[in-house]
This record gives sequence, structure tokens and C-alpha cells, in this order.
Amino acid sequence: MTTYDIIFYLFAAVTLLSAFFVVTNRNIVHSAFYLLFTFFGVAGIYVMLGADFVAIVQLIVYVGGILILLLFGVMLTNKITNIEIKTDSINALPASIVLGLFTGALGAAVLNTNWKVVESPAPEATTTALGNLLINEYALIFELLGIVLLIAMIGAASMARK
Amino acid sequence: MIYDWLFRLTGSETAAAIIQSLLPLFLFILPFALFAVLLERKVSAHMQDRLGPMRVGYHGILQTVADIIKLVQKEDIVAKDNDRLFFDLSPVIVFTGSYAAFAVIPFSGIFLGSNIDLGLIYIVAVTGLVVAGILMGGWASNNKYSLLGAMRAAAQIISYEIPTLLIILVVIMVSGTLNLYTLSEWQTSYFWNWLILGGPVFGIEKLLFIPLMMMSALIIFTSTLAEVNRTPFDIPEAESELVSGYHTEYSGMKFAMFFLAEYANMFAVAAIVSALFFGGFQSPFGYLGDLFNLPWLIPIEQFFWFTVKGIFFVFVQMWLRWTLPRFRVDQLMTFCWKYLIPFAFVILIIVGLITVLV
Amino acid sequence: MTYFLKFWQGLGTILIGMKVTFRHLFIPAVTIQYPSVKPELPERERNRLYVNMDDCIGCLQCARACPVDCIEIETVKSIPGEDLGKTSNGKKKALWVTKFDIDIAKCCYCQLCVFPCPTECIYMTDVYEFSEYERENLIFDFVTLTPDERQEKKKNYEEFLIKKEAEKAEAARKKAEEAAQKKPENNKEEDKLNDKDDKPKEQE
Repeated sequence: MTTYDIIFYLFAAVTLLSAFFVVTNRNIVHSAFYLLFTFFGVAGIYVMLGADFVAIVQLIVYVGGILILLLFGVMLTNKITNIEIKTDSINALPASIVLGLFTGALGAAVLNTNWKVVESPAPEATTTALGNLLINEYALIFELLGIVLLIAMIGAASMARK
Repeated sequence: MIYDWLFRLTGSETAAAIIQSLLPLFLFILPFALFAVLLERKVSAHMQDRLGPMRVGYHGILQTVADIIKLVQKEDIVAKDNDRLFFDLSPVIVFTGSYAAFAVIPFSGIFLGSNIDLGLIYIVAVTGLVVAGILMGGWASNNKYSLLGAMRAAAQIISYEIPTLLIILVVIMVSGTLNLYTLSEWQTSYFWNWLILGGPVFGIEKLLFIPLMMMSALIIFTSTLAEVNRTPFDIPEAESELVSGYHTEYSGMKFAMFFLAEYANMFAVAAIVSALFFGGFQSPFGYLGDLFNLPWLIPIEQFFWFTVKGIFFVFVQMWLRWTLPRFRVDQLMTFCWKYLIPFAFVILIIVGLITVLV
Repeated sequence: MTYFLKFWQGLGTILIGMKVTFRHLFIPAVTIQYPSVKPELPERERNRLYVNMDDCIGCLQCARACPVDCIEIETVKSIPGEDLGKTSNGKKKALWVTKFDIDIAKCCYCQLCVFPCPTECIYMTDVYEFSEYERENLIFDFVTLTPDERQEKKKNYEEFLIKKEAEKAEAARKKAEEAAQKKPENNKEEDKLNDKDDKPKEQE
């Protein structure tokens, strides 16, 4: 087991454990804070896989943006000092049946697939390549996505003004 | 690079990496925090025609050491209704966030934590961790003042991230790199090649860049000042209205960690501004090492210049603190959305046009 | 247009403010480092009282002048033959001062006790740091005599009184004896006269 493996399993453990807590915790704010560790762990795994730009974007967008928005949403829409910020688990039986089936299918797929094992290449900086792809080759799609996001923002703003 | 040297010294990659990641903390941040707290008190005192701490050591030099000893001895108070787990975690996360930024800051040509290509964006990303930590601390304190302070801090930091990122984009467009080390190398060791004076490329665009870059430096200094919650942007911890914001409930070492994170952040921000526009670790007038043919002297000189620039910008932050009163919340948002962001945007467009056309 | 004007004005005023604070960085501090450097007090400062017992004649004028009654004095007359010396302005002392307590906690620093003093032996000093943990410690005792000496002086005077009484009695007895040979009834009236003589003397 190399240092690389140790770090990988560390991040994996952080991700899985905190994800478990996000789901099981009954306090929404707690869940949101546990989500921070999930995002962080996922970003770490991205780095381990050599996707440094994606990892950083994960951190910026999810930790710096979505998580904060989520927290603000929870804190501003509830009475913060109240203990009322709690969730309940409903439909436990159907959920567990579906979950069991899904896990079984995934497990079967993982075990039965004939995985190709390749020596992992040394991680390279992906920023320049990504930038070239986004701005040169897929410029139209990139711009369209930007416009979609802009429309979403305008829509949200116009809804908020009513 | 210092990593190679440590690798040869210890013979193990892990040990070298761990030592190298701890170096900035013990070699730089702790001494700097000790020095900066004293500097802050002395500067504030002398700007108000006072003397500041004078009792501990000659002219109070050891005052912060005494303060740290006091903080270590203090009882760690946790109130009954505090959210214990997150209350304990929050200072750690805040400090992690501000310390992680130091991983990519080039202290000198050989003293650089990680020479990753994403340096600038990485710093912006890990700052998000600070926001989350602050919100966590404010919420876990179960205190109205703390929560208000934390909300204000989060709102302020995320809105001021926009002008910061826009200016970083400007720098990226001009220099073509996100790597802070390459950026510093690119602005050579003569001050007329620094980005504030148009960068190392001579020609018509250099002249055009000078006013734009000065505006950019001003904007990024202001917005990063707001990101570290310093006066005049200190409404998250406005002591006259919110006691001291999100760290009201903290005492002892946890408070010390917030404090350390604040000063580490101050320096990180100063270092970013100096790396972006003022040549980073580069000397303004060439190196003595080059002059006398002593190659080992150059990294030391670079470290010296980096520290000097960092401390100068930290001093400017303190200077502004004792010059300007605190913003109101609406003024804060007006300033960000109506002044900084449009200006940064216009600069971005003009610089883009210049780089394309010239 | 006002938008840009505002921006430039803001920038300019910030720079003006920074110039002011930067100038103040080099103006010498007005701080006086109190316990090590003491500020110079004005000429007529009023602080802790002091009594120079060498000059005190026990006249009680200060105690009477005090508006808060913080001065307590007890005096004992000297017996003949004891020499108490003279005050610095040449007055002869005639009383042993066995108690001169000033409760400085009560003192209101009005300085009214200083002016009536005939020998100028009570005055204000420039000592203003005399805080104590116990209120009793703020009662200052200025008498130079030791407690034993005070007892001795009182005893001396009492003995002297007794002796005098005895002498008087003796004299009276002799007188009475002499008078008894003529008229044996004047005894009591003479005693009363003696009492009246004593009292004003004690108050001097």
C-alpha cells in the first residue's frame, strides 16, 4: 500500500462517512455542514485521478457557492434558533427495497465487468488543454451553456421581484 | 526547489512532503502573526499619538508572546447550548482554509509549497472553505451576534469574490498563466517589468496597460481587503454592534486559531496582490547575487523582497483601518456591485480587446 | 457623470485621510508612562494630608475646621518640668498629642484644615497613590510617640493630677485644719473652684 493509496482511501472514507451523515442526520443544518466534507472528499478524489481543474471547480462551485447558498437558504427560511430544523425519514421500506436492488445491480456490474488495468500516467496539468477545448473547439456549446445559466439567473431574479 | 533538498535530506517522499507542508507555518505564519499583531498595535497606537504596548520587553516587543502564553493558559469555554462538534471543528476549518492558500504562494524561487498550474484559482477555491468554517462557527455558537456576524461575513466574502475573480481573469489574460510562480518569474526582477507598470512586454500595449493595471491593483486590493474582513469592511465583526461577530463565543486556543487565521489571511492577501501586480518575490532592482556572482544569495534576497512587499501591504491594510470608518451594509453592497464589479468588467473587456488587437 | 465624479472624490478623500493618519504616525505620542514617569502636578494640587508633629501644638483647630470630621486629636497636658520644645515659628508647646488620626478615606481634600493651623504643620503633599486593601489602613496615625510613651504621658498626667489632688487635699486639709480652728465649713466650695480652673486649661 503506497502513500497514494492511503491518501485515496482517506478521501474515500471522508466522502462516504460524511455522505452517510448527510443522509441520516435529522438536523438540516448539520446535514449541510457534513455536505462540506463530502464535497471536499470528492474534490480530493478528483485530484487523485489527475483532474486538478475539475477538483478546483468542484471546490469553487460546490463549497464556495452551492453549499453557502444552501446554508443561507436553510438559515433564512427557518427560525434559526428553533430546533424545528429537522427532517423525517418516510417510506423506509420501499426505499430500502429499491436501494437493495440498485446496490445489487451495481455490485454485480462491478464484479462481472472485465476491467482493463492500465498503469496510471503521471498527472499532467489539464488547464491549458481544457481552456483550448472550451474556447476553441466547443466555443458555441460553452457560450450556449453560459446563456442558459444567465437565463436561469434572470428568471430567478424576476421571480424574486414579484 | 526545497522539496528536492528535503527529499535528499530525509530520503523519504512522505517525510519530505510533510516537512515541506509544515515549513510555512512554523517558519513564516507563526512568526509573522507574532510580528503582525505587534505591528498592528504599534501602528494603531502611533497613528492615534499613543505609544501602544510598552511594558513587555523593550518597547513591548514581547507583548504578543505574552498574549499567546495567556491564550494557551485560558480555559476553553463551551456553553451548554453550543453545537459541540461543529463548534470545535469551525476554527480548524477556518485555519485550514487560510493555511491551504499558502501551499501555492511562492515565498522565493526555491521556497514554494506546490508548483501547481492552478495556483490563483486554487487560492480562490480554498477561500470557500473559510466561508464555510465561519458560517459553521457562527451557527454552532448558538448566539445571535455570532450568527449575524457569520451571515454577514459569508455574504460579504462571496460578493467580493466576484471583483477579485474578474481582476484575476485580467491578469490571466495579460500573462497567460495561472501559476503564481511562473507569474512572478514572468515579471522580471526590475520594477518597470512588473504588471502594475504594464508587464515585461514593451510596445504600445505597455503604455495602454499602465492605467488599467493600476486600477486593477486598486480593485483587487480593495476586494481582497473585504474578503479578509478588515476595516473598513469589518462589518462581520463590528465590535460596536456585534461584540466580535462569529468568534464571540470562542475562548482560549480556539479563539487563537481564528486570530491566527485572520493574520494568515491578511498576509496571504497581501502576497496575492504583490504576486499579481508587484512582481511577487522579485527584487525591484536586480539581485546582488547576480552582481557579485553568488547564486546562493538570490533565493534569500527573493525571500527578503517577498516578505517586505507582503508586510508593506499588510501595513497598508492597517493604515486603512485607522483611516476609514466602517461601511454600512448597504454601502458595502453598493460599493461592490455598483463600483468594483462594473469597473473590473470594463477593465476586463478593454484588456481583452488590447490583447487581441495589439 | 456624477458616478465617475463620486468615484474620484472617494478615492481622493481616502488619500487625504491616509495622508493625515500617516502624518500622525510620526507625531510624538502624548502618552505619559504613568507609574514610571509621573505627570507634573499643578502648584496647588491637593492630595494626601501630612502633619509635621514636631510643629503641632495640639490646638485642635484643624479638627474643628474639617467638614467631614476625619481628623481626631487627643491631647494630654504636660506635667511641669517636662520640656516639649518649641515649634519652628517659636511657639512653646504645652500639650502632648497622644492621638492624631486622619481618616484619609473620609477626607474630601478641601484643604480647609490647612489654613487655620497656627504653626502650618498640617499641609497637602504630592502623594496621591495610597490605595489599600483594608479600609482601616487608610486611617493614618501621625503621632510620633510610641504607644508606650502615650500611655506613659497619660499616666504621668493622671499621677500628676492625683498628686496635685492629693496636694490640694493636703493643702485643703491643712487649710481646713487651720480654718477648723476658726470656721470648719468652707471645704466643698473650694473643690468646685478647682474644677472650674481645670477645664479651660485642658482646652488650650
